[in-house]
Amino acid sequence: MLFYFLKGIINLLPMDINTTYWFFERIKEDNLCMLYSGNFSDEITNKLIELSEYNINNIDALSKMKKKASFLMAECFQNIVRHGEKIKRLHSDGFFLTKNWGGVYYITSGNLIEKNKIKNLQNQLEKVNSLSKEELKMLYREVLENNEISDKGGAGLGLIEMARKSGQKLDYLFENKDDTFSYFYNQIMLKSDVDELNKVVSDFPLTDSISYHKKMVEKNIILIHKGDFSQDSIFPVLKIIEENLQKEFHDSTQKKKIFHILVELLQNISRHCLKMGDKKEGIFLIGNSDSNYIINTGNLIENKNIKKFKKLLNEINSLNRKELKNLYLSKLRDRNLPTNGGAGIGLIDIARRIISPLNYDFHPIDEKKSFFTMNVIA
Amino acid sequence: MLQTFESTETRDKPYIIFDPQNNRFEIKGNSLPEDTTLFYKPVIEWIIEYAKNPNQTTHLICSLEYFNSSSAKMLYELFIELEKIKDLGKEVKVTWYFDPDDHLIEEKGMEFQSILQIPFQLKEKNN
Repeated sequence: MLFYFLKGIINLLPMDINTTYWFFERIKEDNLCMLYSGNFSDEITNKLIELSEYNINNIDALSKMKKKASFLMAECFQNIVRHGEKIKRLHSDGFFLTKNWGGVYYITSGNLIEKNKIKNLQNQLEKVNSLSKEELKMLYREVLENNEISDKGGAGLGLIEMARKSGQKLDYLFENKDDTFSYFYNQIMLKSDVDELNKVVSDFPLTDSISYHKKMVEKNIILIHKGDFSQDSIFPVLKIIEENLQKEFHDSTQKKKIFHILVELLQNISRHCLKMGDKKEGIFLIGNSDSNYIINTGNLIENKNIKKFKKLLNEINSLNRKELKNLYLSKLRDRNLPTNGGAGIGLIDIARRIISPLNYDFHPIDEKKSFFTMNVIA
Repeated sequence: MLQTFESTETRDKPYIIFDPQNNRFEIKGNSLPEDTTLFYKPVIEWIIEYAKNPNQTTHLICSLEYFNSSSAKMLYELFIELEKIKDLGKEVKVTWYFDPDDHLIEEKGMEFQSILQIPFQLKEKNN
């Protein structure tokens, strides 16, 4: 009894510093992993596609299939949005994941569906999955001409096209949400060599994606990005957050502040992370708690740099707002400091604007490197 | 006279125009380049060159939407070069525009104002 009571309380707690490593451990092998949980406006959808396109383009083996991937993503989003058309709540609660792992690109989407619509959707899914390539083509033409399925949720054409373009059986699951709603999840794999696709034994079942989504809902996490942190991939991430902020806040000072903190933290990863090959890799999470935003970052760091870095973080955390301002101004005026980061000026400026100290942790990986994570509430 | 300096505005770089002939000096937009030093080096160098033979009056208009902390350091460098022009007995001033509901840019302006020795005026943008 007490256990369940405590578990209930713990589940209500927002994202903390340990959340970063929970996700990092699960997705560390991925070249790229982006998860989004929240509302799906057209703007956010476009940015998510833009981000994924950029990422696909960066993977040599996949750049040829950028068009196909974009099409499939757009189709996933349309499923999310179309199903949510009439009921506002459906719009506000969707899930999207893209992931590149072991030469395979995954696209997962999840959206709420009214329970009484499940049967119809399931019938369509089973029908699509039972057909051969030729039969799918025929069904597609038939539906185009008759327009019949549209009044039953509009999934028809989209599902057929997804099955045709991806060259696979549709992988889907329904998960109970509450009395009225369930989540409809759907996952697609892409590989440059389509024939090889059927031989791939996926080590990433749809249930894994669903467990990530559950964690995101439980911890109120909006977006997670693991992968390259160069400017080109940071930008769409920032835009997605900006769109999301636009909806949450009317106070533009708060919006600006969060944007500023994000820029500084993400550029810090890009400047200071331990490069893996030529990639600037890290993970970043953003979530909500009441009227605040919580931002977590994580990246690998060389053990020999930890001591110096800890000293800087502790110094910043020991100062009050006024002292922080003075330190900031003195660093601004110190012309001997490097102008391109490394002076801690970004971190000092962040510390002036957050409601908690800079929470941080170093998690040892081996004798050379550690996983550094930071958690700020703004 | 020194050639006009002009840079194109991008999503992470500001529009800059330094045009001594028409006495127009302006920086606007966003500044969060991946490599701040690389972007601002030619800007600062231009100002240093200009300081050798400046106009009687140099009035810099800053109307930035957003800039990151490493851009703040470069802007400071730029203002310091302007200070040197003032020390030559020429008139130099900066007008710093901000949106009325944008406290971050307003505060950043006040900070520069407090540490610089040139007339530095803060002004609300009227939209």
